[in-house]
Amino acid sequence: MGSKYPKSLRISLPFWVLMLEIAFILVFFFFTSYETPSKKLELLKPYPAFQDINVMAVLGLGFLKASLRRYTWSSVAFNLFTLALGVQWAIILDGFLFSSSRKIPINIQRIILGTMSAMSALISSGATLGKVNLVQLIVMTLLEVTAFLGTKKLTLTFLDGNEHQSMMQIHVFGAYFGVAATWCLSGPGLSAAKEKEQRATASSLFTTLGTLFLWIFWPTFNSALLEYPSEKETAIYNTYYALAVSAVVAMSFSAAAHPHGKISMIHVHRATLAGGVAVGVATNLIHSPWIAMVLGLLAGMISIVGAKCLPVMVQQGCFNRIIGLHDTCEVHSTFGLPGLLGGLAYILLMIEQASWTKLSTVGFQILYSAGSLSLSVAMGLAGGILTGLILSLNLWKAPPEAKYFDDQAFWEFPHLAVGF
Amino acid sequence: MPLSFDTNMRFKFPIVAICLQLSMIILFGFFVGYENKWQYVQKNNSSRQPDGFLELYALFQDIHVMIFTGFGFLMTFLKKYGFSSVGINMLIAALGLQWGTLMQGILHHHKKFYIGIKSMINADFSTATVLISFGAVLGKTSPVQMLIMVILEIAVFAANEHLVGKILKATDIGASMIIHAFGAYFGLAVAGVLYRPGLRRRRHDNEESAYHSDLFAMIGTLFLWMFWPSFNSAIADAGDHQHTAIVNTYFSLAACVLTAFAFSSLVEHRGKLDMVHIQNATLAGGVAVGTCADMAIQPYGAMLIGSIAGVVSVLGFKFLTPIFATKLRIHDTCGVHNLHGLPGVIGGIASIVAVALGATDKTTMAMQAAALGTSLGTAIVGGLLTGLILKIPIWGEPPDQNCYDDSVYWEVPEVEGPNYYFHENGDHSQLQPEA
Repeated sequence: MGSKYPKSLRISLPFWVLMLEIAFILVFFFFTSYETPSKKLELLKPYPAFQDINVMAVLGLGFLKASLRRYTWSSVAFNLFTLALGVQWAIILDGFLFSSSRKIPINIQRIILGTMSAMSALISSGATLGKVNLVQLIVMTLLEVTAFLGTKKLTLTFLDGNEHQSMMQIHVFGAYFGVAATWCLSGPGLSAAKEKEQRATASSLFTTLGTLFLWIFWPTFNSALLEYPSEKETAIYNTYYALAVSAVVAMSFSAAAHPHGKISMIHVHRATLAGGVAVGVATNLIHSPWIAMVLGLLAGMISIVGAKCLPVMVQQGCFNRIIGLHDTCEVHSTFGLPGLLGGLAYILLMIEQASWTKLSTVGFQILYSAGSLSLSVAMGLAGGILTGLILSLNLWKAPPEAKYFDDQAFWEFPHLAVGF
Repeated sequence: MPLSFDTNMRFKFPIVAICLQLSMIILFGFFVGYENKWQYVQKNNSSRQPDGFLELYALFQDIHVMIFTGFGFLMTFLKKYGFSSVGINMLIAALGLQWGTLMQGILHHHKKFYIGIKSMINADFSTATVLISFGAVLGKTSPVQMLIMVILEIAVFAANEHLVGKILKATDIGASMIIHAFGAYFGLAVAGVLYRPGLRRRRHDNEESAYHSDLFAMIGTLFLWMFWPSFNSAIADAGDHQHTAIVNTYFSLAACVLTAFAFSSLVEHRGKLDMVHIQNATLAGGVAVGTCADMAIQPYGAMLIGSIAGVVSVLGFKFLTPIFATKLRIHDTCGVHNLHGLPGVIGGIASIVAVALGATDKTTMAMQAAALGTSLGTAIVGGLLTGLILKIPIWGEPPDQNCYDDSVYWEVPEVEGPNYYFHENGDHSQLQPEA
């Protein structure tokens, strides 16, 4: 353990950021062009969807992570930074991997795809929240977006997936990537960091704001990549009702899990979103609302159970010592578990709906969708471990454990920050 | 400890909520479906854009933001009651939108029905009534009581809406009467029945705001203010009417802000502004212009309505609310009477005047007056009955000294965190040395 003070990023951060940005600008200069103007009007159609998804990424995921009482600035601002970086990289990679023409045509649909791919990094950074500095975040974002688009390419090429289905694996991928990456970083062992990790009333309300934005705009997220208008519509209805159910379930189960029947705001932040995650992959296969609602119910339950049981094991030490996992924002129970449930539901619905057609194709389809789910998990874990190992190199000047979860390590503080 | 003050929610609340939720799922299984059978969706419908779905979806998103973020954060002004305001708000709305979909669908179709984007918008609208009533009883009730209120109030609301829209054939496009006035008077009636003499003797310690909680409430105000034009125009006929509704609401809100600031400064000591007025009265214009939003009232008419609503709302906060609390024994925590009740009634009256001046030919003065009357009547009767049911002492309401306190029903963080950074520590000596 080196010095108690966080090392200055004065040289390395501007250096890395400027180099990257120059590289991006050069790539954009040589390889991208705007879509031909004749199609412009048609291209503006997805603009409202883009706006919604942008709100989810910037406000939603940003404030969702603002729950630590001494880390709100970094949570929101680093989230924006990660997004801005991730989108540019995702657009470049996406263009090279999936576009046939020499120049990448830039349009709204492509920006939506870029934003959604960059959200994988935003989800994962919930797990590493407070334990990495900006340079490490840059590395993580670049690696993760690459890994995610690689997974998507594999799914589309070999596993017969479609755009929507492979994008909806983002929750599972992002969660397991984050969990694996944070496993390689050292957890907050010191009591000073533990004390900073507590929640406060005001920061919990900010997190609620983020949760609400995600919750409100989730129907757009689940429907943006579907092709046909009526499919989109069904996806929106399914997500709407699934989310409503998981909100009710989250609060009831949270109360039931507490000895005095008190509701925990942390559970509410996590489990209300579970319904949207779970219904994501399968949303165009669900053709009556009650199925979506049952999925929302199960997702809320699983998320609460996950959030309730895993941290208890961590506190008792066994989980912490054996696996050494410290998932700051519990992305595993917010995104990981419900995502797995959603993948399973997709397979079940496939079996249910296709049983009367040719059996051999059904078998293949089931194998394919099971394959794409496990591919996402596996790639997430592998990529996460690799990234975690890279991040734990001394090269990046990581903050010392005593300075985890502390805005003071990165920000200039106002003169009157009393009580902070 | 008497039974009524047993606030342990471990079994009561989850059992009630899960039972309600399961019955919702079962009812949805029997009564609700999607219009498009998916197999043929993929083949035949690829080019069909279902009746302006995407345009309406954008409006729906705005309303969704208003219901969850707007109403939720508007009520966070109490210093120790933020979690309940936002959290229970979400619970109410999440349950209410399912129940609202069902009630409205069954009343309008009498059999299995299909969901469209309009039913989602209407479902969100129906939750707004309960959220308004929640404002009146904020801090004095338990989550279980709120669940019961959701079920009862939305049932009454759907019946009244059916009566006003289908039988009286009155118009209420922005729902000033059937949502705002209805929700406010329903809530007042419930608050009247649940009146607690114990809270009357002196002002409750927790019933005040802090600097940061007022700022949180302002988040809610701003979101409501920004998206109110969508609320008033969502169910208007597409085209000219929708456009008129948006423009009217926009100007009415703008005018209302000015008069609210002006009168707040006028009635307060030494001309200072009162944050409560700014948070609430600035929205009164949107409420009041609702009923005649899609009529040809001209921008100046909308601005007139907005200005009057702003003035009335501020005066209501200053003079009416204290009278209600002391003389009528109705304690209205958020002042919903001044934000939704009075402006809603103004909206109803304005529509009668507008019809008299020939701004629309879709309805008559008598029908508008009847719509206002039935909305108020059903709200008060329904509210009194609901209040009587909620008064049964088995729902786990908080004892007097624990009102307006999150810690009764929520796990609250022990550290106050940066809260006291705003208002308690005057001395700066605690500034930690920069590492």
